[in-house]
Amino acid sequence: MAAKKQKKSQNSIFSLIKVYKGLIFLMVILAVVGNGLNLLIPNIISHGIDTYTTGNFLFKPLVVEFSFAAFFIFLLTYLQGVVQAYASERIARDLRKDIISKISRQNYAYIQSTTTSKLLTNLTSDIDAVKQFISLAIANIASSLFLIIGTSVLLLLINWKLALVVLTILPLIGGTFYVVFSKMGILFKKSQEVIDRLNKIINESVLGSALIRVLNSQQTEYQKFIVANTEAKNLGIQTLILFASIIPIIIFISNATNVAVLALGGHFVITGQMTLGNFTAFITYISIFIFPIIMIGFMSSIIGRAVASYKRISEVLFVEEPKESGSTDTRLRGDVDAVNISVTFDQKPVLKDVSFSVKAGTKTAILGPTAAGKTQLLYVLTGLLEPNSGKVVYDGKAINEYKQKALYEQIGFVFQDSILFNLSIRENIAFSTTVTNESLQKAIDTAELGDFIDQLPSKLDTFASERGTSLSGGQKQRIMLARALALNPKVLLLDDFTARVDTSTEQKILQNINKNYPGITLISVTQKIASVEKFDQIILLMEGEVLAKGTHKELMKTSPEYVQIFDSQRSTSNYEL
Amino acid sequence: MIRKEVQAIMNYKLTTTTENEEQKGLLGSAFKKMLPLMADEKKNIIVAFFAIFINSGLTLSGPLILGYAVDHYVQTKQFTGVLLFAGLLLLVYLLAFGANYIQMKTMGGVGQRVLYKLRNLVFTKLQELPVAFFNQNKAGDLISRINNDTDKLNQFFSQSLMQFAGNFFVILGAAIFMLAVNVRLGFVTLLPAMALLVFTQLITSWVKRKNLESLQAEGKMSAEIQESLDNFRVIIAFNRRDYFQEKFKKANQENFHSSVWAGLANGIFSPLYDFAGNVAQLIILSYGIYLVVHGNLAIGLLIGFFLYSSRFYDPLRQVASLWSSLQIALAAWERVSEILSLESDLKVIVHERKEGVASRNKLMEFRNVHFRYPEGKEVLHNINFSLEKGKTYAFVGPTGGGKTTTASLLARLYDPTDGTILLDGKDIRSYSPEERTKKIGFILQEPFLVTGSVRDNIVYGNAEYVAFTDKDLENVFKEKHLENLLARFEHGLETKVSGNADSISLGQRQIIAFMRAILRNPELLILDEATANIDTITEQQLEEILRNLPKETTKVIIAHRLNTIENADEIFFVNSGEIKEAGSMEHAVDMLLHGKRQS
Repeated sequence: MAAKKQKKSQNSIFSLIKVYKGLIFLMVILAVVGNGLNLLIPNIISHGIDTYTTGNFLFKPLVVEFSFAAFFIFLLTYLQGVVQAYASERIARDLRKDIISKISRQNYAYIQSTTTSKLLTNLTSDIDAVKQFISLAIANIASSLFLIIGTSVLLLLINWKLALVVLTILPLIGGTFYVVFSKMGILFKKSQEVIDRLNKIINESVLGSALIRVLNSQQTEYQKFIVANTEAKNLGIQTLILFASIIPIIIFISNATNVAVLALGGHFVITGQMTLGNFTAFITYISIFIFPIIMIGFMSSIIGRAVASYKRISEVLFVEEPKESGSTDTRLRGDVDAVNISVTFDQKPVLKDVSFSVKAGTKTAILGPTAAGKTQLLYVLTGLLEPNSGKVVYDGKAINEYKQKALYEQIGFVFQDSILFNLSIRENIAFSTTVTNESLQKAIDTAELGDFIDQLPSKLDTFASERGTSLSGGQKQRIMLARALALNPKVLLLDDFTARVDTSTEQKILQNINKNYPGITLISVTQKIASVEKFDQIILLMEGEVLAKGTHKELMKTSPEYVQIFDSQRSTSNYEL
Repeated sequence: MIRKEVQAIMNYKLTTTTENEEQKGLLGSAFKKMLPLMADEKKNIIVAFFAIFINSGLTLSGPLILGYAVDHYVQTKQFTGVLLFAGLLLLVYLLAFGANYIQMKTMGGVGQRVLYKLRNLVFTKLQELPVAFFNQNKAGDLISRINNDTDKLNQFFSQSLMQFAGNFFVILGAAIFMLAVNVRLGFVTLLPAMALLVFTQLITSWVKRKNLESLQAEGKMSAEIQESLDNFRVIIAFNRRDYFQEKFKKANQENFHSSVWAGLANGIFSPLYDFAGNVAQLIILSYGIYLVVHGNLAIGLLIGFFLYSSRFYDPLRQVASLWSSLQIALAAWERVSEILSLESDLKVIVHERKEGVASRNKLMEFRNVHFRYPEGKEVLHNINFSLEKGKTYAFVGPTGGGKTTTASLLARLYDPTDGTILLDGKDIRSYSPEERTKKIGFILQEPFLVTGSVRDNIVYGNAEYVAFTDKDLENVFKEKHLENLLARFEHGLETKVSGNADSISLGQRQIIAFMRAILRNPELLILDEATANIDTITEQQLEEILRNLPKETTKVIIAHRLNTIENADEIFFVNSGEIKEAGSMEHAVDMLLHGKRQS
């Protein structure tokens, strides 16, 4: 889709028609011609009857003519159906693709603020609404309009006075639409927002299913669901009442033309201004005239919903993208500097003016109590989180001077919580495309995963499910480590990696890293002093501030807080398992 | 009997394909299953039927009145009669307007309420199902079933069902009328409709299958989206924005393919029914003229017949498009009812007798317990141990040894595949979920927060405290020595947290989970590496709090930091699916360092 430089004004669903004009034109043409041919049928019949009554009735040409018309109508309407199905699904597919590629260019903050539940609705329910609009509304409205115009002309030709009376219903119906439409838009928007909420509640109840069962809090979840669902119902009923008023009104107005025709037309016939035949024809055409008007009435809810949904979609589609950072794509040496970094969440400072410097090939630990801001600091270091002030510098260049791709190929990040994809263990570890077989093997060996993988039923090709069922916490954690190591990174960031891995394994892994990845810069967030005692630098972070930094020895002398932490671990640190 | 049932491993995996699908009794059985949903809508449905009956009757009588007026008054040039009938016509349309409104509103209401009920029903069912179900199915697909598929049913109920019924009356009426006017002509006029009936019967199951395929593909796609969005961090950090696109492209393409097919299948009805209508007209024309020629039919009646035939075939055309929406609804129902038909295998059993009251002090006991996950190898082999009241137990061992699984069995997240677990001398399965969860507190390895405030999370699932004011809660916190922990949150109880965001670290999440569990006053408290990401100083506070718990509280601590377990009364060594008593801590360390280790 040519969504490159779309302006705000083009964010309406009708801009889609422009993009797919070929397909839509074909669809409309087929619909119009098909329906136009339909108009011929009564003509053929009345012609047949007329010729019969005048005595020059020829049976064979009539049948041939009729059969041709019927066959072509069938062919055209079926083709129209085919094009409709294809066009609507293709537009839906392309729109989804556009949304996805747009999302995938966004940064992490955007996904968090937009919420995954809304994006899911955009990609499913909202697209569905647009799809319905394409497949049902466009062709229907086009051919309805054609029928309305066509029959109007015919009516005018038969008797313009009577026809004008009939046509007065059009502005009447237009007015009805206008009133209802203005009310419907907001309802549809709200309805889609409730779907977002339902998505969220269902998703949370799936992710939290174990907790819910441990606490027996099903009732609470159900309450939450029922609130959102009730709102969905109420909105649905409000929409319904509007719809239940508009359709009967339109049908009534349309039918009322029959009354006018009978009274006025009857008068014309009686006074001799109109032949009986014309009068009958008029009545026949009126029924053809009414049908498309009612059809448009039925389409109104589809249009209303689609307009609201497309607006939601275009909010995602036409939002400004984060600009591609920089152009630097050189190999990293591995120097990392944090310069005066501050981060605030809802006016609450999480990191306050944090600065430190890590030399290439050295090992740094970030130590500190829970909620000190350690995880946020790592997110800032990888660029997942944009600091409110300050900057991150790699090899003397600010992080946004680098091409993001080039940077991420060289930085391995092990997240605190395990994130597994519904892929084989192999694909989960070799998640980046740059991973070769050797680097995969090296990563597996380093993370001490070899034995574990060997005892899996299909080894590396065993599937890990979405939430990593039946893998232990430590196994998942090591898979996460292997995933980062498989990049052959110059900088490795570990977020509390040691928490779920026993000490002897952890020690082995650290040795493996030293051996297999010489020169790697390691920054490790941790709680355990024992495992980082020999590190080149330890940064003590408390309440978002750097309290002290230095080697273990230095800190033992200079930082009472560090000593306190050390003491809290000392009694048993030698016994850590 | 019951025992057998319970111990058979349930496979909760929902089908995401359309294989092995039975096609028997398509319409009838599906309707029967949907019937309970409409049970308390009987009155509304009767009203709607009545309204639609009136509406169709009136609509049908419109042309009759028109025709009558033309024949008797226009032709005979009696204008007062014309006016009278015009007035009558107006009245008929007005009444039809009212009936139409009532019908749409009532039936739409039925649709909305059925949708509401159905969604609640599915969601309740989800809550009834055990954890195993969620391990086997994807959030996105479940969302698709609860939101999209139920809406397909709503669309059918609110828009199509009544039109279906309404048109049915009109069609029937028109058919009878035609046959009454002229049996022979009437019969041949209906011939194309009969052909349609046969054809529809033949292709319906194919159409439904195509629709089901399309819904399944949509569910899969939704699962794909949900997974990728939930894991977006990794996708960014590992440069796999393309993975997201690629993975999605495949699901999107599959969805496109199956939807186009569904569209083609659904789209076949309308043109065909149109065609049949036209053929009928041709038949009327040719056979009608034949009859007229032979003096068996008046020409006026022939003209009338065209009108009647369109009264028959026009609604039939509508039925054609409704028919495909019925097929969509049936396919959607299949996906929804698949969830509804699942039964939790963690049923509460009726307990016949106390199983050997060995010791009054025994809180829990594992007897010859075996366990395997569905579609997996056995992970626990013949486990026997017991936990005494008021004691602290440590479970240690290498990762992947079975610690978490054992804890999950203690909390009855799963049932053993073989053997028995006793709680207070009674089979754990004989406790109601309320009783059981009141007795057993379990802090999970991966703490989960619900979106809301810290307060929401702490009182979450805790009936006792939900109604407490903040002041009361603070007192409870003091009593339990939790106030220092709470102080770690910037805005205390009102601090905002969310289910999946990272504005809150794992350590903080663990603190909330800890407070939540402590406030529940469980008899057995299980901590599964529950403090792994909490700093050691805070951890000491947690230990203090644990020590201050009532004497009778039994604690099970899973950890690999020895400091957290050094106060344990007993240590169990868990490895390779076996549990051994370690006796002393030294012994445990020894086993850990030298014992056979797997993974």
